[in-house]
Amino acid sequence: MSSILQEIESQIAGIKTTVMKQNVGVVREIGDGVAKVEGLTDAMYNEMLDFGGGVTGLVLNLEETEVGAIVLGDYTGIKEGQEVRTTGKVLQVPVGMGLLGRVVNTLGQPVDDKGPLQTDKTYPVEKIAPGIIRRKSVSQPVQTGIMAIDAMIPIGRGQRELIIGDRSTGKSTICIDTIISNARLNKAALEAGDKSYRPLYSIYVAIGQKQSNVANVVRVLEESGALPYTIVVVASASDSATNQYLAPFAGCAMGEWFMDNGMDALIIYDDLSKHAVAYRQVSLVLKRPSGREAYPGDVFYLHSRLLERAARVAENFGNGSLTALPVIETQAGDVSAYIPTNVISITDGQIFLETDLFYQGVRPAVSVGISVSRVGSAAQVKAMKQVAGRLKGELAQFRELAAFAQFGSDLDAKTQGQIERGKRIMEVFKQPPYNPIPIEIQVAVLWVAQNGFIDDVPVDKVKDFQSKLTDFLTTRKPQLLAKIQKEKALSDALTAELKAVATEFKQSYK
Amino acid sequence: MKISKQARRDAKQLYRGCRVNELLDEAKVRLVLQQVIALKPRGYIAILSHFERLVRLDLARHTARVESPMALAEPQQASIRANLMRRYGNGLTVAFTLTPGLIGGLRVQIGSDVFDGSVQARLAELEASL
Repeated sequence: MSSILQEIESQIAGIKTTVMKQNVGVVREIGDGVAKVEGLTDAMYNEMLDFGGGVTGLVLNLEETEVGAIVLGDYTGIKEGQEVRTTGKVLQVPVGMGLLGRVVNTLGQPVDDKGPLQTDKTYPVEKIAPGIIRRKSVSQPVQTGIMAIDAMIPIGRGQRELIIGDRSTGKSTICIDTIISNARLNKAALEAGDKSYRPLYSIYVAIGQKQSNVANVVRVLEESGALPYTIVVVASASDSATNQYLAPFAGCAMGEWFMDNGMDALIIYDDLSKHAVAYRQVSLVLKRPSGREAYPGDVFYLHSRLLERAARVAENFGNGSLTALPVIETQAGDVSAYIPTNVISITDGQIFLETDLFYQGVRPAVSVGISVSRVGSAAQVKAMKQVAGRLKGELAQFRELAAFAQFGSDLDAKTQGQIERGKRIMEVFKQPPYNPIPIEIQVAVLWVAQNGFIDDVPVDKVKDFQSKLTDFLTTRKPQLLAKIQKEKALSDALTAELKAVATEFKQSYK
Repeated sequence: MKISKQARRDAKQLYRGCRVNELLDEAKVRLVLQQVIALKPRGYIAILSHFERLVRLDLARHTARVESPMALAEPQQASIRANLMRRYGNGLTVAFTLTPGLIGGLRVQIGSDVFDGSVQARLAELEASL
C-alpha cells in the first residue's frame, strides 16, 4: 500500500512545477479539415496545435491576425470559439525496426490488429534532405526482379526512378514485384548468413487508394513472405486530404531512419498524382492563390523536397541509402501534363508503361524507347551489363525495322534475322506479376537469347523454352547460377560453361 | 461577410493612424468611426468590421485578465499589476475577475499568452497524463 502512496506523492511532486507560459487561440472558422484560429501569436510554421480531446492540428498558414491550420484526425468535433494551444513541437512519426511488418496510418498509428508498435523513436515528418557533402553517387543495384527493368533501365540504391503510365497498366505491380524480389534476397542472405549483403527494407505509401486495393497489396505481400521486410503507410481515399498530403512525408521519415542508421531502404509513393490533388484541396481551402490547373504555386517544391530526401549517403556519414520509386498516373498517356512533367524533371529517370503494349500482351508494358535511368547503369551488376549492354539499342532498331517490315517488302537475311531476334527477346521480357526473377537466372537467360540459342525456337514457344531453361538451370545446374551470383561478372571460363550448358539444354529441348 | 483586400488595407491604415507611441488612442478611434460613418466610402461596413477586429485584438493584447477563485487583497493586486507591467510594458490595463471554478491559484491571460497556475489546470494536466 505504501508504494502506491509514494507513487501518488511522486506524481503530485512532478506536477508542481513552475507556471508555464502557454500560447492560446480561438477557433474562428472550421471546415473541410482546415481551421482558422485567431490569436496564437507564438505559433511556428509546421508546429503541432492541441485542439483538445486528442485532436491535433498542423500550422500551415501564418497570417496577420490568425493562423491557418490543418486538422489531423476527426475535425467534426471542433467547434467555433474552442480554445487551441501551441505545443512547441513539430509533427513527428514513430520510426525504427519495430515498424517492419506493420500497416500504419499517416501519424504512424497501427491500423492492423497486431498490437502497439515496438519502438520509442520518432522522426520529424519534414526534414531537410542530406546536403552535397554527405552524398555519394549511386553505385549499388536494386534488383527489381523484372527482367526488362534490370536489363535495360537499371535502378541503383539512392536513385529516384519514376514509374509512370495510365490507369491499370501495372504500375503498382512493378512496385510490389520489387518489394517481393528484395524481400526474397534479404531472406536468402539471412538464411545463408551472408554478412556482406545489405538488406533492403521497403516502405509502401498508399495515397488516396481504395481500401480494397491496399488490403490486396498487404495480402500479396503477406502471402509472398515480403511483409516482415515492409512498412505499409496508408492514407486511403476515405482519409482526409490533410492525411493524404502528409502520408509520403511520414513514410519518408520512416525511410530516413534506415538511411541515417547505415541501412538501405526503398520507398514507394503510390501515387503522387493523387498526392498533388490532395495538396491542391488543402491549399484551396486554406485560400492560397492557385496557379495552373488550380494547383498551388508550390506544388513543384512539394514533390522536389520530398524526392530530394532520397539519397545515397557516403561511407563516412553512415553509408545508408533511400531509394524512391514515385508513381504517377497519366491521363490518356499524356506525359506532358503539369504534374507528370514536374516529377519527370525531379527524378533520375522514368519507367513508362504503355496501355497499347499492355493490351498487346507485353506485360510488364515497359516502353523501352522513352524509359530511361540516368544514374542506374553505374550500379548495374557487371554480368548484366555484359549481356544487356547493347540490348536497348538493338530493341530500338528492331522496332524501327518491324514498323518498316509491315509494308511487306522483301527483306535481306540480316534484317530478317534482327526482326526475328527482336521478337524473341520481346517474348523473353514478358513476365507474370508477383514473380520476380533472380539476377543470375536473368543473366543466364539473356546470354542464351543473345547468343542465338533461341533463334530457331518458334516465337510462341519462347516462353516455354525460357521456363524449361530456368527449371533446367535451377535443378540441374545450380552451381553455375551460384557462380554467376558470386562472381557478378561473366569471365571467359564462365562464358564457356554457359555455352556448354546451353548446348546441353538445347539438345534435350523438344 | 466577405471583406475585400482593399477594405482590409484601408482598415489597417486607419488602425495605424489611431496609434500613438505604439498604443491605441481611444479618442482617435472614436473620431475615425464617426468620420467613416459620415463619409460612407466604398465598402465602409467591411472596412469598419475589419477595423473593429484589429481594435479588438489590440485591446486583447493590452489587457491582462487576472482570474482568481476569490477576491484578491489590494497589495496582491498591486504586485501582480507591477509584475505584469514590467513584463508587458506600459499601457496595460489589468482587469481582475472572480472565477470560482479555478479552485485555487491564478490564471492570467494577455492576448494569446496564458499563465495558468490554477489548481483546475493542474488537475486537468494530471488527468491528461494518466
